[in-house]
Amino acid sequence: MTTVSLPLAGPARALRLELKRSAVPFLLPLLAAVFYYNTVRTADGFPAVWTLRASVIGDHMLFEFSAFAGGLGAWAGSREGRRKTADLVTTTARAAWARLSIALAGTLAWLLLAFGSGVAVLYVKTALQATWGGPPVWPVLVGAAGVTVVTVIGFTCGVLFPGRFTAPLVAVVTLFLYQVGFHAVLGIDPVPGIHGLGSGTYGLLSPAGPPPNPDAGVYYRIAPDLSVVRVMFLAGIAVALFGMLGLAPGVRRLASPRSRGSVRAFLAHGGSWPLRGAALVLIAGGLAAAVTAFSLAGTARLDPVGGWEIPALHAAASDRPLPVAEDCTSVATLRVCVDQAFSDDLSDVADALKPVAGEIAGLPGAPAKAAEVASMDGGQQVMSGTAGNPPVFEFTAEHVGPIFGDFNAPADDPAQWRAPFQTGLLDAFVAGLAPGSGQHAGPAVPPAGLAAQQAVVNALLTAAGTAPSEIGGNELLPGQPSAATWAAIGAATRRFLALPASARRAWLATHLTALRAGTITLAQVP
Amino acid sequence: MTAAGVLGPPTAPAGTTSRTPPGARLAWLHLRTRRVPAAIIAIAACAGLLRAALYWHWTFAAGPYAQQVPMIIEAGAAAVVAMTAHSPFGEAERATGRCLPYLRLGTAAGMCALAIGLLQLGVIGEGLNGGLPVLARNVIGITGLGLLCSLITGGLLAWTLPMGYMVFAQYALLEAWTSPWAWPVRPPADRGAWICACLSLAVGLLLFAVRGPRTELSDNG
Repeated sequence: MTTVSLPLAGPARALRLELKRSAVPFLLPLLAAVFYYNTVRTADGFPAVWTLRASVIGDHMLFEFSAFAGGLGAWAGSREGRRKTADLVTTTARAAWARLSIALAGTLAWLLLAFGSGVAVLYVKTALQATWGGPPVWPVLVGAAGVTVVTVIGFTCGVLFPGRFTAPLVAVVTLFLYQVGFHAVLGIDPVPGIHGLGSGTYGLLSPAGPPPNPDAGVYYRIAPDLSVVRVMFLAGIAVALFGMLGLAPGVRRLASPRSRGSVRAFLAHGGSWPLRGAALVLIAGGLAAAVTAFSLAGTARLDPVGGWEIPALHAAASDRPLPVAEDCTSVATLRVCVDQAFSDDLSDVADALKPVAGEIAGLPGAPAKAAEVASMDGGQQVMSGTAGNPPVFEFTAEHVGPIFGDFNAPADDPAQWRAPFQTGLLDAFVAGLAPGSGQHAGPAVPPAGLAAQQAVVNALLTAAGTAPSEIGGNELLPGQPSAATWAAIGAATRRFLALPASARRAWLATHLTALRAGTITLAQVP
Repeated sequence: MTAAGVLGPPTAPAGTTSRTPPGARLAWLHLRTRRVPAAIIAIAACAGLLRAALYWHWTFAAGPYAQQVPMIIEAGAAAVVAMTAHSPFGEAERATGRCLPYLRLGTAAGMCALAIGLLQLGVIGEGLNGGLPVLARNVIGITGLGLLCSLITGGLLAWTLPMGYMVFAQYALLEAWTSPWAWPVRPPADRGAWICACLSLAVGLLLFAVRGPRTELSDNG
């Protein structure tokens, strides 16, 4: 007779059994399918910029993981109640807390493994496409903390309320809280005081939110302040709930009808005093961390580059701009430059600007360079415009011409993608729009002058091969023009377009200054 | 001595006979084993949550995001309906008679209707995006998926497919998909979406009534 020696110590062997018997692997195919549709496809629609692609971890990936992590945590936690073995396992040598911890660890390990695999897929795809930068770590940490806290919430609910409906109800409430956070962070209709506290703070602590600007993290570092607070908040809740698991047998006994809420019953079944002490310390520590994080989030303020900074955690080093590395090419007389993070878009931008650059080449004030700049400055969105001597047409990855988010949109319709660049360059050239505010550089232009500028822009745009209607053809005018104004602008556009190219150039060379100043009316456009 | 005295059916002790007809008692016992009373409370809680979301404006009034929160709660109610599929008796129950498929069918269909009614009751006086048609279509279609899932996973894990479909539908919502099988995304009167949702429920109900949920010895909850 041979003796079989167990290769693993007790807890490790129990964990191996938990991993082997977990329900999570059976649901991985479903989770993978949802991950592909919800996360991977969304990320594929974004430019290959690390910060932007990583934003789907909190905005999409955590949502689908929450649906399953909460439910599966509750499923694992309710096992003893579901199988009515609670009394049977009470006689085991280990404390109930150790037993529950191993069950929780088994579920959490599978979910974190799945989460890590998803992040790896996302980051490998981005690494193969990105032309600049590296993988951000904080979104992964926040996501992992989110998966952990949702699993622990589900597990604790499963232990305390081991009914068959606990799992879907935990999943529903978790997703509900996620979406309320998303709603709060958008600030469209603030939540009127969740638990009597500010909805803005709740929104900031929620990992959900709209995608950042395409160039987030390209010109400035993303301050980790908010991520630190989120991890602290989520981890605090997880630790407090884990501590509550140490008191779970006593709490269950307290809730049972036979004990009639007797504190004596709670004290008799709550485990040994050192364990209870440790559980209370964890609960207190976790709650303290969560409350501190909530308070810190309440002090957050917008930083100049569009992120959030928390004074107590903020490092001044993260405010320094990153060194800009440009990729450039030349079309006609125009040098076109974009940040290295958008190198893949350089040829598309150059192709878009080429026809209009040819129309205005050599005219006074025509830009010699078109360059991408940061989309946020001093907390404000930067609009495209022309500045400097020699003039430089500045645009951003977020805003060009009258369009926001052009770099976000895939180039399914090349004409629609080109139009904002062409309109932006012509508007800046003809109307003298300054970068930053996107307003006229000089004194206010009268409406008649704006209409003449619009007619000239529309004519040059048409000559370059783009229909003004792609953008609207009225972006320089204040509000929607009347039918009569439309007709007059259309007539002036057709007249100017009917001129030979040389005549157009000659008229522009002579009258450009007056046109920019707004002293030329529609009737004066040849 | 003869056995005549013990050949007849035993007489029930006084005070233990029930005036309830046997059919109704059987139905009530069936509902109790499926935890239907608790399911009704859970669905009522979902209806309360939906009302709170609409009342305190925790959801968007219009646009692609407007269906996000209602869809989560409708999927939750549908998952609860699907989880009433679970029987604590497992395989042994199948040998008890011919009524079981009808009881399953009646329970699932009745719970689905009750879920729609309770959720609709919860949103009375509030502006639910899409109104009753979208609410009913979502509950109908997702309940069908849950019942189908119960054939594979058993009743206790029947919530997984409804939740997975709901997460997928959230993506479809933002991408404005037009496929009829993404019925939560479609307008209230979309015929294709209604056909798909009803087909899901019909197939789910039929297979569930005939075959019953998967039973395993370990599922002795």
